[in-house]
Amino acid sequence: MDRQTVFVCQGTGCLSSGSQAVYDALKLEVEKLEIPCVKIDFTGCHGFCEQGPIVIVEPRGIFYTRVQAEDVPEIAEAHLQNGTPVQRLFYRDPVSGKAIPHYREVNFYQKQQRVILQNCGHINPEKIEQALESGRYGALKKALLKMTPAGVIDEIKKAGLRGRGGAGFPTALKWEFCSNAPGSKKYVICNADEGDPGAFMDRSILEADPHAVIEGLALAGYAVGADEGYIYIRAEYPLAVKRLRLALKQAGEKGLLGENILDSGFNFTIKIKEGAGSFVCGEETALIASIESRRGMPRPRPPFPAQSGLDGRPTVINNVKSLAAVSAIIGRGAEWFSSMGTEKSKGTVVFALTGKVANSGLVEVPAGTPLSTIVFDIGGGIQRGKKFKAVQTGGPSGGCIPAQHMDTPVEFENLSRLGSIMGSGGMVVLDESTCMVEIARYFLSFTQSESCGKCTPCRLGTRQMLEILTRITQGRGRDSDIEALLNIAKTVKEGSLCGLGQTCPNPVLTTLQYFREEYEAHIKEKKCPAAVCDALMISPCQHTCPVGIDVPRYLDAISREEFLEAAEIIRERNPFPAICGRICHHPCELRCRRGELDDSLAIRALKRFVTDWYFDNIDKIPPPEPFTVLKPQKVAVVGAGPCGLSCAYFLARMGYSVTVFEALPVGGGMLSVALPEFRLPDQVIQKEIEYIKKRGVEIKYNSPVNINFTVDDLKKSGYDAVFIAAGAQKSQQIGIPGEVEDLEGFYYGLRFLRDVKIGKPVRVGKKVIVIGGGNVALDTARTAVRLGAEDVEIFYRRNREEMPVSELEYEEAVTEGVRFNFLVSPTRIVSSNWKATGLQCIKMELGEPGKDGRRRPIPLAGTEFFVEADAVFASVGQAPDLSFLPPDSALERSRLETLAVDENRLSTNVSGVFAGGDFVTGPGMVIEAITAGRRGALAIDKHFKGDPARVLIYDQRKDVLPLGIAEGEEEHLDRELEEETWKPQYRPQVPRLQAEERKRSFKETELSYSGAEAVQESKRCLRCDLEI
Amino acid sequence: MAKLKAPPEIDLERLNEIVSEHARKRWALIPLVQEVQAEFGFIPPRVVPIIANKLHLFPSEVQGVVSFYEQLYTEPRGRNIVRVCRGTACHVRGGKAILKLVKRQLELEENETSEDLEYTLETVACLGVCALSPTMVINNQVCGHMNPKKVKELFKREGEG
Repeated sequence: MDRQTVFVCQGTGCLSSGSQAVYDALKLEVEKLEIPCVKIDFTGCHGFCEQGPIVIVEPRGIFYTRVQAEDVPEIAEAHLQNGTPVQRLFYRDPVSGKAIPHYREVNFYQKQQRVILQNCGHINPEKIEQALESGRYGALKKALLKMTPAGVIDEIKKAGLRGRGGAGFPTALKWEFCSNAPGSKKYVICNADEGDPGAFMDRSILEADPHAVIEGLALAGYAVGADEGYIYIRAEYPLAVKRLRLALKQAGEKGLLGENILDSGFNFTIKIKEGAGSFVCGEETALIASIESRRGMPRPRPPFPAQSGLDGRPTVINNVKSLAAVSAIIGRGAEWFSSMGTEKSKGTVVFALTGKVANSGLVEVPAGTPLSTIVFDIGGGIQRGKKFKAVQTGGPSGGCIPAQHMDTPVEFENLSRLGSIMGSGGMVVLDESTCMVEIARYFLSFTQSESCGKCTPCRLGTRQMLEILTRITQGRGRDSDIEALLNIAKTVKEGSLCGLGQTCPNPVLTTLQYFREEYEAHIKEKKCPAAVCDALMISPCQHTCPVGIDVPRYLDAISREEFLEAAEIIRERNPFPAICGRICHHPCELRCRRGELDDSLAIRALKRFVTDWYFDNIDKIPPPEPFTVLKPQKVAVVGAGPCGLSCAYFLARMGYSVTVFEALPVGGGMLSVALPEFRLPDQVIQKEIEYIKKRGVEIKYNSPVNINFTVDDLKKSGYDAVFIAAGAQKSQQIGIPGEVEDLEGFYYGLRFLRDVKIGKPVRVGKKVIVIGGGNVALDTARTAVRLGAEDVEIFYRRNREEMPVSELEYEEAVTEGVRFNFLVSPTRIVSSNWKATGLQCIKMELGEPGKDGRRRPIPLAGTEFFVEADAVFASVGQAPDLSFLPPDSALERSRLETLAVDENRLSTNVSGVFAGGDFVTGPGMVIEAITAGRRGALAIDKHFKGDPARVLIYDQRKDVLPLGIAEGEEEHLDRELEEETWKPQYRPQVPRLQAEERKRSFKETELSYSGAEAVQESKRCLRCDLEI
Repeated sequence: MAKLKAPPEIDLERLNEIVSEHARKRWALIPLVQEVQAEFGFIPPRVVPIIANKLHLFPSEVQGVVSFYEQLYTEPRGRNIVRVCRGTACHVRGGKAILKLVKRQLELEENETSEDLEYTLETVACLGVCALSPTMVINNQVCGHMNPKKVKELFKREGEG
């Protein structure tokens, strides 16, 4: 049998996960089973700690992850003895879920180019022989025996190496300055004080391949003429210190350090200096002070350390990675190194990719690799299917880079241009559940505590910025705060003495630049969009719900089987629970904390269950009473859609008398007109409207507000305020030739859905094409299926990820036989004799991301094609239809042909006239329309009271009374908590109609949970609202 | 804060040994106080003038260095040093919650030592084990992928051990 070597990773990460026990167990087991030709060895850090403990079996390169001592007998017997690798321990790709046995094929490694990290994880760092075998000290030998010091500097210059410590200063230039400086006593120092939180590559290199650094330092010494070197290493890296000391000893024993190295006449010794816990000592002048046992405070430069450094002598300070790169460059040549990377940033760069990314670890790629490759290809994308938000590069000195710049090639200049820096190489991935204001505050709290205090701008400025940011995250932000932050940031940046102060405002500046709306939400609306800032919220679900439903409380009511109570809790904030229970896009579920454990709560489905129960038992429940009219003012609402009716409901609740004017013979707005019966039965809408009527709201149908009866007329008829919620039901045109509405066989999706809903006969034929990718397009397609179309195809100009529809809806459409054609755009509607015959299209590809982070589709020349069809539908969006307002109306319009309205108070320029919902914003989600309705009601109330203050919609909490715990029950509860399992519990599947049955009828496709399922599911709620 | 009945006895002979050893070397102060700390568990304020004298420095210089560095301590510490990481990666993956739980479990605030000198709680800006975030370290034992259950188990074990 071939000789096998088993390498067990013993970096800090894997050791902490138990790799020592694995190593010991393997040695014992191999001996016990007497397996021949097997060697057990250990290596340093692979940089893939999350998958550890890592074990690699060479020469086949089989890669085992998360190995524990218990797995060893199986590995020994099945693999080492019988040649069958253990499948269950293979690495699983986080995106595809596939098992990948060979580490060379693992995406994480395959797409990297490991130069600086080349030995990490492949050699035993405590045996110098293995380092020598891998080529270490070959470069030193070459330099000492065949090159001059100037030659060495020249080689580094040709390679174009820029310092990898953060600033990116050309290494050769620094060496030259030092070499040319007068004086015979010089020093070289390795900066191993890796203080940046989130960076751990220096640690890994020192633990896994210390000789790379030793050789690099010796080469630096030779190049500049220094005979003494120091390695300044943080005290927090005890294993690295240990391995380094051992490596130095072994190098000395081999004559590679000390006097007359390799008979070349070059003397060089290295001493280790341990840090004592100070981030600022990573700055070169502070580092020097620390070696000299002084306080680690930076001093002004010039003079630079290359002129006057340690003990006043010319000194070169290089980062661990730079020295490892030096070793590689002298060994393999400048040409090889400079063939990688870009023109201004040569070679490879090492990143520590951490945060919300699936593959967390060390990544080395040629400079110029796009950020998106690093985060999505190598990193495997975002965990738990959340949306990517930003990448923080360069540690606390760096900045946050949002989605729109993800294609940026990573190199020094590009990153500075975006407001960030390359820095130490730390790259923390942030997703939609990260609050950017909190991140800025977090970094400031770090730099503020590490500021040495020497210079005033840094000392005071960081404190001030931290105070402001803390106030903002606690809901005490002031309107002047953003300006104040920008001012202080500028001063600190320009006035600080060292790199810490000069760069610490970067996180604040970049988050303000790219995520200003988050700051504004915190300050003006007291809202944290990521639902992170505890002080602003009671529970993330309630906070994220635009309308602020007290979710945990009604889930609790369900768990106690108090379904009526649950319905009433929901109606405190939302008069359309049955509708939302079916079609809401549930942002609450995305922030549910339970989702971080196993599965978020099925909040929407539970809401639906409650409302179904309510309507099923309506005869047994006392009927709702009309709200008492307490106030004299009367309000008119235009439009009986979800926005208008919500406004009316909340106004009535506040005691006003309200009348709703609706042009159509039915209420419900977009819901009753556009949503197909199989998603939202008309009956449900009517029942909800009934409820609102019973509460005292008057609705007048067939009463349009238009040129004959204007908004002004409304006011003249005695209404003290008017709320316009006329919706956005005008179909957007695609804007292509052949697009004529009267064409037979061509429809706008919205019109088509409306016609079907009101019972008009529509013929769709056999082959149908639907243009668009949103809800309306899907609904149109699925309706066409039900009307008998045999071949229904959706043409969307973007791809699946960009479709603004839920996973559920997409799956349903696919199950019903709808086909999807992505990255296709129509160019012409082809017709003959006034009848549509088909569609001329062109293929698209996704280009650069736009400002919102979504990639813009661009047509691919030469890919036009024609598709035949009996009917073509266009569902590319809706817009508000302002045509009902007379052209000379005083109401001001915005640039986008909607009404100009104050964002907070929803007031138009005419006193007493307000507007909200889709009518103002364009098509939005139903819960947003309901929120706008409530906001409108609150604003109108304020208007009547003469209160000029902002409308604030806070989370509200009802007092919770603690249940007493009976004597002796405590123990029982404790045990229950113990057993309360860490095994994942997923939400029950919502029952659905069978696919075949669905295609033939307009019956509702989604059914409700049973009572037992609902109660059980509600118990999974973690009651975040009770957190102390 | 640790309330002691009387300051602990310092073996002055041993102290002088350490000081003399280092006094001969260049730039000795930090390695010297680090060794003092390794020997006695902390740097007793009483030793500052002794060190200053031997190294020909002003006591204020010595004091200045000792007070600058976070990991030079002037008070006795617990037998178990618990360091919770507050680095970026750990923060993003819930480190704040872990710290809150540890504080509650140990009934200590940051930089406090328990009365029985069993635990000292600290936070560190980064332990360098970011891929296993959230992390913490007890003495030299790194604990990665922390969650509330592990926090509970960790201190139950330590307490019983």
